[in-house]
Amino acid sequence: MSDTTPLKPETSGPAAPPAAAPTTDVTLKIDGKSVTVPKGTNVLEAAKVAGIEISYFCYHPGLSSPAVCRQCLVGVKGQPKLVPSCYTPVAPDMEVTTDSDQVLTARQQMLEFTLVNHPVDCPICDKSGECSLQKQFDDWDGGASRTDVPKREKPKHVDLGPTIVLDAERCILCTRCIRVCDEIAHSHQLTMSIRGDRQQISTAPGQTLDNPYSLNTVDVCPVGALTAKDFRFTMRAWELEKVDSVCPGCATGCNTEVHFSKGRIYRLIPRENLAVNKYWMCDEGRFTYHAVRKDRHAIATLRGEPAAVDKALAAASDRLAAVLQSAGPGVVGVVLNAQATNEDNYALAKLATALGIERFYLAGRAPRPERQDDILMHADVNPNTTGARAIVEALAPGKAKGGAQLGSDILSGSIKAIIALDDTLELDDDTRAAYGRLDLLVTLTSYTTGLTEHSHVALPIPLWAEVDGTFTNVKGLVQRVRKALEPAGDSRPAWEMLRELGKRLNAALPFPTVKMLFKDMTATVPAFTGAQFGRDSLPVLLRFAGSRG
Amino acid sequence: MSDSHSSSAPSVPGGNEPRKMVIGLSTAEDYDARRQAAVLGNEDDDDEMPTEPMELNMGPSHPSTHGTVRIVLTVEGETVTDADVQIGYLHRAFEKESEHATYTQVFPYTDRLNYVSPMLNNVGYALAVEKLLGIVDDVPERAQYIRVIVGELARIADHLTATAAGSMELGAMTIYFYAIKAREWIWEILEEISGARMTHSYVRVGGVAYDLHPDIPSKIRTLMPKIQMALHDVKELLFENRIFRDRMDGIGVFSQEQALSYGWTGVSLRSTGVPYDVRKDHPYLVYDRFDFSVPVGTTGDNFDRFILRIEEITQSMRILNQAFDQMPEGPVVVDDPRIILPPKQAVYNTIESMIAHFKIIVDGVKVPPGEIYSYTEAGNGELGFYIVSDGTGRPYRLRCRPPCFMITSALREMIVGHGIADIVPTFDMMNMIGGECDR
Repeated sequence: MSDTTPLKPETSGPAAPPAAAPTTDVTLKIDGKSVTVPKGTNVLEAAKVAGIEISYFCYHPGLSSPAVCRQCLVGVKGQPKLVPSCYTPVAPDMEVTTDSDQVLTARQQMLEFTLVNHPVDCPICDKSGECSLQKQFDDWDGGASRTDVPKREKPKHVDLGPTIVLDAERCILCTRCIRVCDEIAHSHQLTMSIRGDRQQISTAPGQTLDNPYSLNTVDVCPVGALTAKDFRFTMRAWELEKVDSVCPGCATGCNTEVHFSKGRIYRLIPRENLAVNKYWMCDEGRFTYHAVRKDRHAIATLRGEPAAVDKALAAASDRLAAVLQSAGPGVVGVVLNAQATNEDNYALAKLATALGIERFYLAGRAPRPERQDDILMHADVNPNTTGARAIVEALAPGKAKGGAQLGSDILSGSIKAIIALDDTLELDDDTRAAYGRLDLLVTLTSYTTGLTEHSHVALPIPLWAEVDGTFTNVKGLVQRVRKALEPAGDSRPAWEMLRELGKRLNAALPFPTVKMLFKDMTATVPAFTGAQFGRDSLPVLLRFAGSRG
Repeated sequence: MSDSHSSSAPSVPGGNEPRKMVIGLSTAEDYDARRQAAVLGNEDDDDEMPTEPMELNMGPSHPSTHGTVRIVLTVEGETVTDADVQIGYLHRAFEKESEHATYTQVFPYTDRLNYVSPMLNNVGYALAVEKLLGIVDDVPERAQYIRVIVGELARIADHLTATAAGSMELGAMTIYFYAIKAREWIWEILEEISGARMTHSYVRVGGVAYDLHPDIPSKIRTLMPKIQMALHDVKELLFENRIFRDRMDGIGVFSQEQALSYGWTGVSLRSTGVPYDVRKDHPYLVYDRFDFSVPVGTTGDNFDRFILRIEEITQSMRILNQAFDQMPEGPVVVDDPRIILPPKQAVYNTIESMIAHFKIIVDGVKVPPGEIYSYTEAGNGELGFYIVSDGTGRPYRLRCRPPCFMITSALREMIVGHGIADIVPTFDMMNMIGGECDR
């Protein structure tokens, strides 16, 4: 499941319970099965460990348990009434039943009760196909309606904030969204209003739902009450395909699922990883996918004119060979980039070492300290600063210079040629002018912005969603990104381009596949020791991935 | 058998005696030697003129093989000395496709197996899924009778097609028109029942799509004498016909042992004298309530297979008559909201039925994990479905045992040593259906 190595193995077990630090283990019986769990675990999680399914709506492993949906009721020996399993901690020698007639009837009756005022919206609801209510009803009830009274009508379109719309009729009042705002985003922006069958979610007085983690409420919503403006009405959920990936938005490296269809990404959603992001991610990270279709540099260019990739590579190698011949490797610099994957950075560093180049620069987007918080968002908006730095340290210890140094080195005339991995360097006017003095500027880039317009040769490379590779997050975890889309236009992975370039310059990089490159890298770079590339996996159609509900 | 047959092939002996023709004798050197001997006059007078072995393509698109199959023949004169039967021209990856479809979505694919009798495939597949669901006995009686009725109609259509095409390819065009006209009447009835002339997709997991119109039984009853008349005409025209009998009698003879070793079933197996019919030996649906007999052949030749089909049509009509008499009123689908789509009225007006509908359409009918082999008597023999379920709404693996795959695999053995003209009736009477054989 998770690609984080080495802290988390490939197959992660069930989620750890959100309980206080366990001191001892407790053994209890659930449906006759004996199960041992840490003290403080609730019965619902204990049942999951035993492989027994209990239906629930309001419970979420990352949130507190309010026990408001009454869907997880189970029988406990010695207690006359059923108890909510999400709220009941395990006790020694407890005997729990989850499949008695009493429990199953209660489950069905709760479902029937929940559905009494639920609108017939499935055909127009964005949650269809990944809806908990659909799943639980299908799993545990399935019966026909017995009501003959009109359903309670509520507002269908409540604009809660910049990102989210509420359909109050669909809401089953589980309060998960309120708890996400309170407990994860630490901003009390949602609340319950009115009572009885008129009860509904609303923003707290004077508030809008605009915290930087607001879209997590859409993920946790068991029904289609909260929908993201970014995603709603664009795609049926079950027709999307998913691959596991990592958010490229900042150094935290939240684990994500990329949901896409027919060459287009529709959304990023967080993927559980208790070591990094738990169950959450920030709104800004979710929108990083928009950049995949914007300002793409998809064909090679020679001084701004379109060219075939082979021709561009030949031009780059010829001119680089000439510079190396006439002035030696001392006047050549390479620019690694914290936006690029470990593999691309490593390939460039390796090529530079092979050519005798000693000038290494480490570029990246400028930090944005204002976004730093103690939840998930990091000031460093590059996904791979740690990785790029570790690679330079391993291959050219002590030689890495910052991107700012690059401009002054060009101005002073100490470098004549540059090979740059560039995902949009932010340039000031002086530096911009300085690039004109270079004999050769080769950039490998995904965007038409940044250095591309100043380049003698600009080679198109794919973005994070189009390659297999790894990012190293701020904690030093090497995490895998997987290919969701085909590379745009003529673009080919940077490490492949560099391999071709190396071949033409008699500096072969012996990596037929990215996996072998990764293996070589983990052997060379001490910081990556023990990291695993993980298995390759085909995209899964969500329809066949089971209900996400 | 046929002394009279010598006209069509150079050296065809009678009965099951070994042929004079020895395969493998005909090397180029051998040919040269024999030709030289003939020219020099050393050859015995009664020896034939030696011929050069020749490779000949029959099919894949040949007017007298009703089925897309390619037979690469090695012939010497008119005699087939070797044959390479190549199937697969109608391969549609039925089994693989099914893994990506919900259990309900597989029905249209089964229509295209034996496309002459799609109802039998529908029924066979539905029974396999129901067996895995454990609801075989819950399917209402009326649905079971309807399945028998549409199945037997399809069987009649199937046999009529085989006899019609078989006779036509031997030159009897009139027979073709008589039999195909009768088949058309049946297809009209099936169209009235299901809405589609050929690809019916009428059966569902747990029952059938809709009830029969009350008029249908009487319509079929009035139709049956007309089919009997057509059969009568066919019999009268063909059974005393010397040309027809010469090309059918004693041709394509296959012994019981051979047939069993190849895994033959259906009419082809019964023509060799084995009275194996799934409807009798392993009754499914309500077949144990009907009085019908299983005709068997004596010699295992093409004429046996032809006449068995005619006789089975009569038996099917007996079953139909009894089914109409016994068929009760009642529902035509099981009463289980997780298997059967709720009525549209409820789907549009209540959330419960909406969810049930949505889940069946998008996720499919959830079948408990397990595996099953279920088999029924289809037009050509035992049609089996082997299904592995992983608990989701689509098959983890679906394997189809097509009866005519086993039968077609014996084609080479049946035609080698015979004349080219014998291929046509032999191939016709094994009734290879590309859609079923190639899947």
